Amino acid sequence: MSLTRSTLWVGQSLPRVDAPGKVTGETQYSGDLSMPGMLQMKILFAGRPHARVVKIDTTQAEAAPGVVAIFTAKDVPVNEYGLQWNDQPVLCGRGQGEKGSRVAPDVVRFIGDQVAIVVAETEKAAAHARDLIHVEYEELPAVFDPLAAMQPGAPLVHPELGDTNICVHDRLRKGDVEAGFAKAEVIVESEYFTPVQEHAYLQPEAGLAYIDEEGRVTIKAGGQWTHTDRAQIAHALGVSDEEVRVIYPAIGGAFGGREDMSVQIVLALAAWRLDQLGVRRPVKIVWSRKESIIGHCKRHPMRLRAKWGASKDGKLVAAETEIIADGGAYMYTSNKVLGNTTITSTGPYFIPNLKTDVYGVYTNNIPSAAFRGFGAPQALFMAEMQMDKLAEKLGLDTVEMRRRNALRDGDTLGVGTPVPGPVSILHCIEAAAQHAGWEKEPDGWRNVKRENVQPANLKRGRGFACGFKNVGFSFGYKENSWARVELHGDEEIEGVVAAHAGAEVGQGTHTVMVQMVAEAVGVPLEKVTLMTSDSAGMGNPGSASASRMTLMAGNALKGAAEAALAKWEAEERPAIAEYTYRAPETTPFDKESGYSTPNFAYAYVAQAVELEVDTETGFIKILRVVSADDVGQAINPALVEGQIEGGVVQAQGYALMENFITRDGYVLTDQLSTYLIPTILDIPDAVDSVIVEVPSPIGPWGARGLGELPFLPLAAAIAAAVHDATGVWFDELPLTPERVLRGLGKI
Amino acid sequence: MTINTHPTLPEFEYVRPETLAEASEFLTRYPGEARPFLGGTDIFVRMRDGLITPNFLVDVKKLDGTNDLRFEPQAGLTLGAAVNMNRVIASREVQAHYPLLAEACRSVASYQLRTRATVVGNICNASPAGDTIGACLVFNGVLHIHEVNGLRQEPLAEFFLGPGKTTLKPGDIVTAIHLPLPPKGCAGVYLKLGRNKLSDLSLVGVTALGHPDPSLPSGYRFRLALASVAPVPLVPTQAETYLANQPITPETIREAAHLAAEACAPIDDLRGSARYRKEMVRNLSAKALSEVWEKLK
Ligand SMILES: Cc1cc2nc3c(=O)[nH]c(=O)nc-3n(C[C@H](O)[C@H](O)[C@H](O)COP(=O)(O)OP(=O)(O)OC[C@H]3O[C@@H](n4cnc5c(N)ncnc54)[C@H](O)[C@@H]3O)c2cc1C
Repeated sequence: MSLTRSTLWVGQSLPRVDAPGKVTGETQYSGDLSMPGMLQMKILFAGRPHARVVKIDTTQAEAAPGVVAIFTAKDVPVNEYGLQWNDQPVLCGRGQGEKGSRVAPDVVRFIGDQVAIVVAETEKAAAHARDLIHVEYEELPAVFDPLAAMQPGAPLVHPELGDTNICVHDRLRKGDVEAGFAKAEVIVESEYFTPVQEHAYLQPEAGLAYIDEEGRVTIKAGGQWTHTDRAQIAHALGVSDEEVRVIYPAIGGAFGGREDMSVQIVLALAAWRLDQLGVRRPVKIVWSRKESIIGHCKRHPMRLRAKWGASKDGKLVAAETEIIADGGAYMYTSNKVLGNTTITSTGPYFIPNLKTDVYGVYTNNIPSAAFRGFGAPQALFMAEMQMDKLAEKLGLDTVEMRRRNALRDGDTLGVGTPVPGPVSILHCIEAAAQHAGWEKEPDGWRNVKRENVQPANLKRGRGFACGFKNVGFSFGYKENSWARVELHGDEEIEGVVAAHAGAEVGQGTHTVMVQMVAEAVGVPLEKVTLMTSDSAGMGNPGSASASRMTLMAGNALKGAAEAALAKWEAEERPAIAEYTYRAPETTPFDKESGYSTPNFAYAYVAQAVELEVDTETGFIKILRVVSADDVGQAINPALVEGQIEGGVVQAQGYALMENFITRDGYVLTDQLSTYLIPTILDIPDAVDSVIVEVPSPIGPWGARGLGELPFLPLAAAIAAAVHDATGVWFDELPLTPERVLRGLGKI
Repeated sequence: MTINTHPTLPEFEYVRPETLAEASEFLTRYPGEARPFLGGTDIFVRMRDGLITPNFLVDVKKLDGTNDLRFEPQAGLTLGAAVNMNRVIASREVQAHYPLLAEACRSVASYQLRTRATVVGNICNASPAGDTIGACLVFNGVLHIHEVNGLRQEPLAEFFLGPGKTTLKPGDIVTAIHLPLPPKGCAGVYLKLGRNKLSDLSLVGVTALGHPDPSLPSGYRFRLALASVAPVPLVPTQAETYLANQPITPETIREAAHLAAEACAPIDDLRGSARYRKEMVRNLSAKALSEVWEKLK
């Protein structure tokens, strides 16, 4: 596809529209909000992994100075919620809310379950009263290891939902694996472990709730999808969606961690119940970092077992995979995350014979859910390591091995249906390899030999890995996004007002929205005003996740702009049009074989890493990362580079440094001084962003998606480089200095 | 006066006495309730985390001499308690005579933090991980302490009793750390290993100082101090004695490093295992001693 005309705004590295406010400090994040008469709220967390709430005594707390109200399960009309399934109580305890509820509302299933909320005049008073609430618990047997949790007889986290803790099981059956392995020249079998990861966004959860001028319970708190936040709040309060309003202030990072509820429902409950008691005052809460770390979901830790075979010429012939993911105490988005793990567990390669089983298991750990990459980084760590090990056995270069197996247009995925094209993984592989110093020779790609460095304890290595991931929601969800465009003026268009409720979580989506509107209408950027982030008066934007916002919002805004322009031509003033973009349909997995058309679009990435291992301390220093990401069309190249650099650094933390330590469901690393993320001095010396542009036929101006891509292959590329440097395979992340030294046999 | 500070910082009263005598008197009047503070970079974190809840914080930054950074060619360096680490790093005299101290300060967190953090605060906090303590130990630092009854001096080597525990009594205020003149021809290094390169406390820290000393069989005296491997900052004397008596070679340096590793009693914690720490003491001590030796010979 080529652009029919040269673009005005699309493809330009324009400054972010939200930059001035953020740089000057004018922009208000949830924690900055305040309103006259505002009250403060504190949450009593259960602080135990599995227990039944027998009795809650709030008398002493209610009498404490400054307390306005205390709410417990008794005050929750419908005491259940969840993004996928309603399997979590809003406040653990018995009350009116269990009617029709699927799960016992009086059971605490992880330490961050919420038991009571205290509203008081000051934060200190609320905290003081919170500590005076007496809760009697009956401890229940708990389970923390997903493998143990799968065994018959293990303590059940949700006995009401069935007699097993297995809450997800996806299967792929394609071809005949036995016959496939029979053709294999080499077979590699390995077991991998990937860790929990904490989102560690800069801004801990916070929010403000009040009754707005139209009587709606209004919640201002960062999230990723205004309309599902609203639906979950409304469900718990037992009111209609229209009686609830969700507004997003500026959001200090999300990465998937804000898809599920944290403070929203209890804030709404507090403001709504207070109003019923005749106290119409706003309520605010700000979580500390500790509360944030125990209170919100994490990346799924997984154990991945793989047996892959390849023929003499380096072609994959069969793969057998079993993946077990710790889902934690509640479903959150585990079913969707693991669907993605299932699809990406083949890597972006054609494998004719497949047997794949992916399990999600309930435990009494903190729930696992969405995190940049959404189940793909774990699967790709396994797949890419398998590729490297096969290549080594065959004596093939790692890039060459990938080239031979890369998905091509028309190839069927593990789900048995063709991958939607154009498939650009080969473009990414070539771009990354070339940039990183591989050379293409008549018989294939070759890694140019590295030079040795001094002193001798520093070993250099290079690694390469690929990734792919769906753009947009999948598995039969009717993916859509709404927008409105108004054209104001008389003779000519003097102003454009565009509305789209999509969340700006720091990725720059509002900037590209403005660029795309200006482009679609054909006006200077200054004429565009963007209205965003309010569930009232705006249609469903869909979530700021799954790398989908540019594609979905872009199509919605483009459609609305075109419709408005048509009305403008017909002399309507102002010309106002709404448009809902609907993506091509998808279908869910077949239960037995996984057969489906699960996604309508994919995006591709390849990365090369050069690093240095200090064999005396075990520390790894990343010298250079080359990341070639196919974005279809870079709407704003500077923002693309920002996403690539940010994704690489976050993935580096995942691969090397971030070590989430728990014991029996309790988090030992509940602060950023114990759970470390990379600092400016730890990041790679260089991140070379290579922007690949193979347009998507359904993307606005050809755009695909990006947010998750740069995260996907990095851990595998790092592990490959460490192998290249030391000769040792590391199958477990993170590669902390201690783990490296143990692997090298030094301690 | 009550300060409502950070929402989760407990309330406390800020006290700023005019004189040292007044300060010591106040601290003695409220033992267990009042604490002296300098940059506050340790104390506020501990208060936020609910580990300590003092009712009074006594600011000792403006008191007599606490802001002085003074080098006397006959006597050495006197570093006032309130002198922040960036001032230490920027001082020409420190750079000229005690570059090891500047190097140790540079390893502490970020520039921003170092505009608050002080060397004396680092010492009084008595964490075995304190990065600047080793340099002060190997230069034979002496603390100047103001107490209700006057002044006393205390060698740093005898100051630490356990994690967070020192010989200080209520009413004691450290006014300065004094470092005698550096030994002639000395060279030093500080090697810090943290899980990240900015702001993590040391997993292991090795301070090494060496200088010619004709009175010793080896002709050189080496000093070592180890951070984060024992309940208190540790001086592995066996290693020091060994190098005083053996010719300095790569082999004897390795043996000294081994003795240093054997001397320490690290713990397993979230940041690393005892086993790893011990191994790192061995590797980093060998590296530090070799680097110092390279500079000396
Ligand atoms: C983000 C961050 C990173 C850090 N990184 C490092 C690091 O890399 N390396 C490191 O070593 N430390 C680090 N620290 C810890 C801290 O900054 C240092 O220990 C610092 O030197 C403390 O100095 P201060 O002046 O702030 O002490 P304060 O907090 O003011 O005081 C520390 C303690 O000493 C007592 N005290 C203070 N003054 C006196 C006095 N005159 N007489 C008697 N007792 C007194 C106080 O009561 C308190 O117990 C870090 C801290 C933070 C917050």
